[in-house]
Amino acid sequence: MKDITRVQCLLSTEIEALLNQQIKKEAQSSSAYLAMASWCDSHGFDYSSDYFFKQSEEERMHQMKIFKYVLDMGGNAISPEVTNIQLEFNSFKEVFEEALEAEISVTQSLKNIAANCYKEQDFVTIEFLNWFFKEQREEEYKARRALELFEVIGEEGTGRWEIDKHVNDIEYNSEA
Amino acid sequence: MQNVVIAPSVEFVEVFQTSNGAVFQSDKENCWYIDFAGKLARFDYRSLMKLRKAVYAIDIEMILMNSEKTADLEIVFICACDHCYVLNTLQILAIRELIEGTFVMLELNRILHDRVYRLTA
Ligand SMILES: [Fe+2]
Ligand SMILES: [Fe+2]
Repeated sequence: MKDITRVQCLLSTEIEALLNQQIKKEAQSSSAYLAMASWCDSHGFDYSSDYFFKQSEEERMHQMKIFKYVLDMGGNAISPEVTNIQLEFNSFKEVFEEALEAEISVTQSLKNIAANCYKEQDFVTIEFLNWFFKEQREEEYKARRALELFEVIGEEGTGRWEIDKHVNDIEYNSEA
Repeated sequence: MQNVVIAPSVEFVEVFQTSNGAVFQSDKENCWYIDFAGKLARFDYRSLMKLRKAVYAIDIEMILMNSEKTADLEIVFICACDHCYVLNTLQILAIRELIEGTFVMLELNRILHDRVYRLTA
């Protein structure tokens, strides 16, 4: 008997479902960052707003990358529904706290997919995911650095104005 | 099944069978034939995946708990596919069993190909 399902699709049902879940997660991140950009803009933090706009676009790019991979491997990529985006924040600092928390949860979710790939020896998808792990290094670094500005500069006086000015300078350029 | 003539029969392999139905694979046509609820229906890869999704999506518990005096009928409709099933509660349980068993056998077939045929070419 022919192995028709394997001929049609490289991905197992489980990995395909996990990748679709990740597509949704990236879409949610993109929308969440957009909400942060909006909040920052309306509260006068122009540089931070720019920073979150850029992050939002990056997340959209991540989403498309996985979306196309699922399709290329013969799977069914599902356009996700995005709901429950946090629009309001109690403080400027809280925006960055939420951003870091979201990135940590994305890293965790990617690790979970890779763990399942190892279990079924899907080295093809693991190789694909490696790009995302390197990306998460940068994403977490930037989010953590941004939050550190609150400690280094301090929020008193013109502190928040200073913090906002420096957010856009955060860069990660490790060669490793 | 007795009314359906398929020849030659060797190209038709049984994947899984229960007392309520059966699933056959045609290697030549790259598809499956499902003998269930009084008809034999053809499913290609895409529609078989959609059928599985539709069947698994039925909330059996909710149907069993439903005390309303409406008919316990569920319509399994698959987009861009010629077939549609109108099933009562028992048939829903039966088709679930049939589909679950079919995918276990397909998985087993995959393992067989991966571990035996594909490594010993
Ligand atoms: Fe991302
Ligand atoms: Fe990110």
